[in-house]
Amino acid sequence: MNPSNPPQAAEYGGDEVSAIVLDPGYSTTRAGFAGEDAPKSLVPTYYGKYNADGQEKLIFGDDVFVTPRPALSVHNPVGKDGIVEDWDMAEKVWEYSFTSRLTGAKPGNPFQNGLNDISNDELPTEMEVESDEKPLADSPLLMTEPGWNPAKAREKTIEIAMEKWGTPAFYLARSGVLAAFASGKASALVVDIGASNISITPVHDGMILKRGVQHSPLGGDYISSQIRALFKSNSPQPITITPHYLISSKTAVEAGQAPQAKYKTFPAEKAPDASYRSLLEERTLSEFKECVVQVWPGPNKLSATGPTGVSNEETARTWPGRPFEFPDGYNQVFGVDRFRVVESLFDVKAAIPDPDSPFPAPTSSQTIPELIKGALSGVDVDIRPHLLANVVVTGASSLLYGFTDRLNHELMQLFPGPRVRISAPGNTAERRFGSWIGGSILASLGTFHQMWISKKEYEEHGPNIVEKRCK
Amino acid sequence: MSLASGVSIDDQCITEFNNFRMSHGKTKFIIYKISDNKKNVVVDEVGHDQDYEVFRTRLEAAADSNGKPAPRYAVYDVEYDLGGGEGKRSKIIFISWVPSDTPTLWSMIYASTREVLKNALNIATSIHADDKSDIEWKAVLAEASGGKAGK
Repeated sequence: MNPSNPPQAAEYGGDEVSAIVLDPGYSTTRAGFAGEDAPKSLVPTYYGKYNADGQEKLIFGDDVFVTPRPALSVHNPVGKDGIVEDWDMAEKVWEYSFTSRLTGAKPGNPFQNGLNDISNDELPTEMEVESDEKPLADSPLLMTEPGWNPAKAREKTIEIAMEKWGTPAFYLARSGVLAAFASGKASALVVDIGASNISITPVHDGMILKRGVQHSPLGGDYISSQIRALFKSNSPQPITITPHYLISSKTAVEAGQAPQAKYKTFPAEKAPDASYRSLLEERTLSEFKECVVQVWPGPNKLSATGPTGVSNEETARTWPGRPFEFPDGYNQVFGVDRFRVVESLFDVKAAIPDPDSPFPAPTSSQTIPELIKGALSGVDVDIRPHLLANVVVTGASSLLYGFTDRLNHELMQLFPGPRVRISAPGNTAERRFGSWIGGSILASLGTFHQMWISKKEYEEHGPNIVEKRCK
Repeated sequence: MSLASGVSIDDQCITEFNNFRMSHGKTKFIIYKISDNKKNVVVDEVGHDQDYEVFRTRLEAAADSNGKPAPRYAVYDVEYDLGGGEGKRSKIIFISWVPSDTPTLWSMIYASTREVLKNALNIATSIHADDKSDIEWKAVLAEASGGKAGK
């Protein structure tokens, strides 16, 4: 059996639709068959562009990381605020996410693919050819979107799904609602820590409360920029991240000693663009976040003084450090610095200044506690206690060690009266793919058929139907 | 229309609820569940015992076919005394019970069907519970009375 075939209908309880669920993020795009536990296709939303034989070529998926081609540049169709900027390219990246591993390539022209060759010269008199079969002609499509996605973008999305991909049925679900539902809650305060954004989405009775939705750019990429700032002023020596493709060999060195590696060099005309290097550096930074970075768990800020009169920084300094080895062999143990790179998500004064960073210094209204305050002040006072008792944490960057402990302390300090309760799936996949999994379950239910916007309804009412049906 | 599972509400859910309303306190609660084939909400149990603890025990004991704790919906007739000679009041409260270790599949289905059932029964007062402390009498009483009773 072709592995890209969807599971048979019987495999999920007699429900007949084998829909595709597409959860597009800034850093990665997740796609897979409804009813499965995790997205089968996880591709970078970044794509590569280069010239060969005077023609512009594009690279999608993990292939973008593989070969440092001359002048290869890396782009992202999604803007820093999580909203699509380049629709043509977003369509291509998203399409790649499901055609590469789920639906397969479009079938070739049956006149030319060799399967219909007839041994004698006799040709059938008439043959209908669907020459441009669309990639989703047989699959309903459920997509997710951030709570602040504007109406224009929503309409554009259904237009692509219906007209370019030919899906017979479509639904657009708010990722905050999906994350709340996946935790069993119809009302919740959803705290989503993504790559380009952190967002707070109040959900009440299954609806997002738009006036309360808050977001800011202090997500995973911002944390990377803080780590870079730390590396510049690192002691015993500043750290340069050299991605693997620039290293031909390395020798083990003692901790804190200068790296001894042989480097690959590219002459200017053969070198990839700086954006390529920066994307590959980001991979090392991701590893650094997973292995080293830690959130000061609280109570109180890292800069505060604990109950015994010892500053929290001093306390953190006494904890064992964490070692990390860079691609060039440089390695060191990171002590209290590993807390400093994320502290500004909670305390704006703790931001490590870096004049060269693409991120302007954060403002106090962008921190997580302030966003939560803003979200709650935008909703009815009666439902605030319900939201605080049902805080749902999702997003890959929320997996930072110590994050939920700190969030809990911050919330209890901000709102000493009502009961605060955080639910965060312990399972890594559920935290990374929370919205996708929620969409996967819904779209696999036989009863969900009444929610879908059918092709016929789309043709009758136009793209604006998404505003009426997907609230 | 907000995002929902499309799971439908069995007519008997409404019929039993109307009987419950007309019973003037004789019926104390109804427990609802989603059928194993995930197609509709059905009545699991109608209870007449006046002791809240009986209801709470029944709700907490709800289990799936493998004997694991399972989610439920419930309606309960909360009677309370306002004190100061204001007399007795009663209010029907809607409860969604999704224990925190419920598998994601069922969490998702129960959460995305909740509003449809609550609206079909037309109940304004509701609580969501995922921890046993959420369905203690004190918590239910406080929500039903709008904080006026049980202080």
